[in-house]
Amino acid sequence: MALNTASEVVSFARKLEEESAQFYEQLAKQDKEAEEIWLSFAIENKRNIAQIERAYYGVISDAIEGCFAFNINADEYRVNIELPKNPSDAFKRAIELEQRLTRFYQTAAEQSKSLMADVPRAFQAIAQKRENRLSALAMKEKHSRT
Amino acid sequence: MALLEEVIKETLNLKNYINGEWVASASDQTLDVINPATQRTLARVPMSTREEVAVAVKSAKEAFPEWRRTPPLARARYLFRLKELLEQNFERLSRVQTMEHGKTIDESRGETRRGVEMVEVATGIPSLMMGFNLEDIASGIDEYVIYQPLGVFGHIAPFNFPFMVPLWYSPFALATGNTFIVKPSPRDPISQVKLAELIEEAGFPPGVYNVVHGGADVASFLLEHPDIKGITFVGTSQIGKEIYRKCGETGKRAIVQGAAKNFMVVMPDAFVDATIPALMTSFFGNTGQRCLSGANLVIVGKDDTFHRNFLEKFVEAARRIKVGYGLDESIQMGPMQSLDGKRRVLEYIEKGLSEGAKLILDGRKLKIAGDYPDTCFIGPSIFTDVSPSMTIAREEIFGPVASVLRVANLDEAINLVNSSRYGNGNAIFTSNGKAAREFQYRVESGNVGINVGIVAPMAFFPFSGMKESFFGVLHGQGRDAIRFFTESKVVIQRWF
Repeated sequence: MALNTASEVVSFARKLEEESAQFYEQLAKQDKEAEEIWLSFAIENKRNIAQIERAYYGVISDAIEGCFAFNINADEYRVNIELPKNPSDAFKRAIELEQRLTRFYQTAAEQSKSLMADVPRAFQAIAQKRENRLSALAMKEKHSRT
Repeated sequence: MALLEEVIKETLNLKNYINGEWVASASDQTLDVINPATQRTLARVPMSTREEVAVAVKSAKEAFPEWRRTPPLARARYLFRLKELLEQNFERLSRVQTMEHGKTIDESRGETRRGVEMVEVATGIPSLMMGFNLEDIASGIDEYVIYQPLGVFGHIAPFNFPFMVPLWYSPFALATGNTFIVKPSPRDPISQVKLAELIEEAGFPPGVYNVVHGGADVASFLLEHPDIKGITFVGTSQIGKEIYRKCGETGKRAIVQGAAKNFMVVMPDAFVDATIPALMTSFFGNTGQRCLSGANLVIVGKDDTFHRNFLEKFVEAARRIKVGYGLDESIQMGPMQSLDGKRRVLEYIEKGLSEGAKLILDGRKLKIAGDYPDTCFIGPSIFTDVSPSMTIAREEIFGPVASVLRVANLDEAINLVNSSRYGNGNAIFTSNGKAAREFQYRVESGNVGINVGIVAPMAFFPFSGMKESFFGVLHGQGRDAIRFFTESKVVIQRWF
């Protein structure tokens, strides 16, 4: 499914953030050892929604291309929020999820960079946060294997 | 994507807001306010009487002395409260616009944001309204200017931006200490009712802000009333000229914004990938129903390959536009606001064909996303082989129709733009600064876009216009609005 309008993209981002927050909250219950990390991710996801919506509602106007700034295939970015059967796969699953979301935000930022004012900056900032998460998750995963 | 929830559930019986009260009109004449996408009746709006206009003017006049004595900082605080309420109700206000006008939800939110920005700018009134002075214009004599409010102002609103356009004026009028009467468009008056409800909630004193519903009669009553000091109007040039004349006769100030026929000039060095979405927004955003819409696409240069490729991309992008009910977030273009508006567009399409233009994208053949009656829907249309003398190249269509013209160079493009009797929002798309400057310098246009397809000035700049697109001296928004809504009183003083 193609996402073309800013409203759709913002709603889709909200859905991704909410679903992944739900995933992390469930994971926190399952993986008590890393509970703090998973809950911090879930909290940050909620802040991400606020950050995107603030940018969108703050700059949306008839002078920018709200209905024509995007062409994103949503199907490429849907996330699997089922908990891993094997708890030891938690980091791997989180990494997969974060990689997908990072790509979504990078794509959204790139497509709208000259058309949507502050919105691509918000997308880029969240993509960066997720890259930071990925680094942290990779280290944890490595640590958990040793 | 799911359809966003409708916020108007039942048919509303709209009332006037006069002297701080919601009053049913005595008139038995009403018009139905129809959702152009679903054809559901959203409200019944009264055609108010001359007496009701007189009562509104009287209450606004009586409220004026106390309101003008309210310190600017205190007036600003009313506006701060209003701004807060607008933010709290942002989404609801936006959905009302989509329901009564038909525009997409992105466009409605954009309109709401623009409206809120007007209020934000007007809160700066303690600074904006300051006068100036000079000591010792002669020995021991000082001179200074005070900006003072005038009294009651009226606004006659258009249908195309039912929430935002009245806000080009009212926050500035109120901030400067004037009182205000708005006559919303009877086609989509609900946004103004919702705004007035928030103005009431913000605690503005009775009579300071009033809403009187109606059609041309109510507009005439406002124009004729001797206690109204000025009128602001946005609509057609034909009616605008008449309003400007009447204001002159009755000594009223006037800001009159009229029609447009905007040219989007594309140079061969334009950044095509960003230009195409900008042009989609310009030509087809708000279903072409705005005075800043692109109408004529002028492709510049002798390079046939560039011309062909650019046109192909333009047509392909327009063909892909998803048309439907604006509360569906995936929709890129809504219906026309009314069946009359659609009929007018259809007539122009016929006119274009009969005058020899080639219709390469026919909006009459469209697929509506969702199960909606096609009453007001029409898709994007594109004409090529258009000559400047054709009707479709000269007259405002006010719908999603693009006429493509071709010229050899920038000089020809500027001359073509300047041959129009309108001068509202013309734009150039180029990566060449010299060409952009030349365009900006020579083009007869109140608002000029450089790689921007909708040249909508921000709240702190004047919304300009030239030729038959604007009648008046000072414009809406920003400092111009402050000057419009105030008289410069000059004091020269000496003390013996």
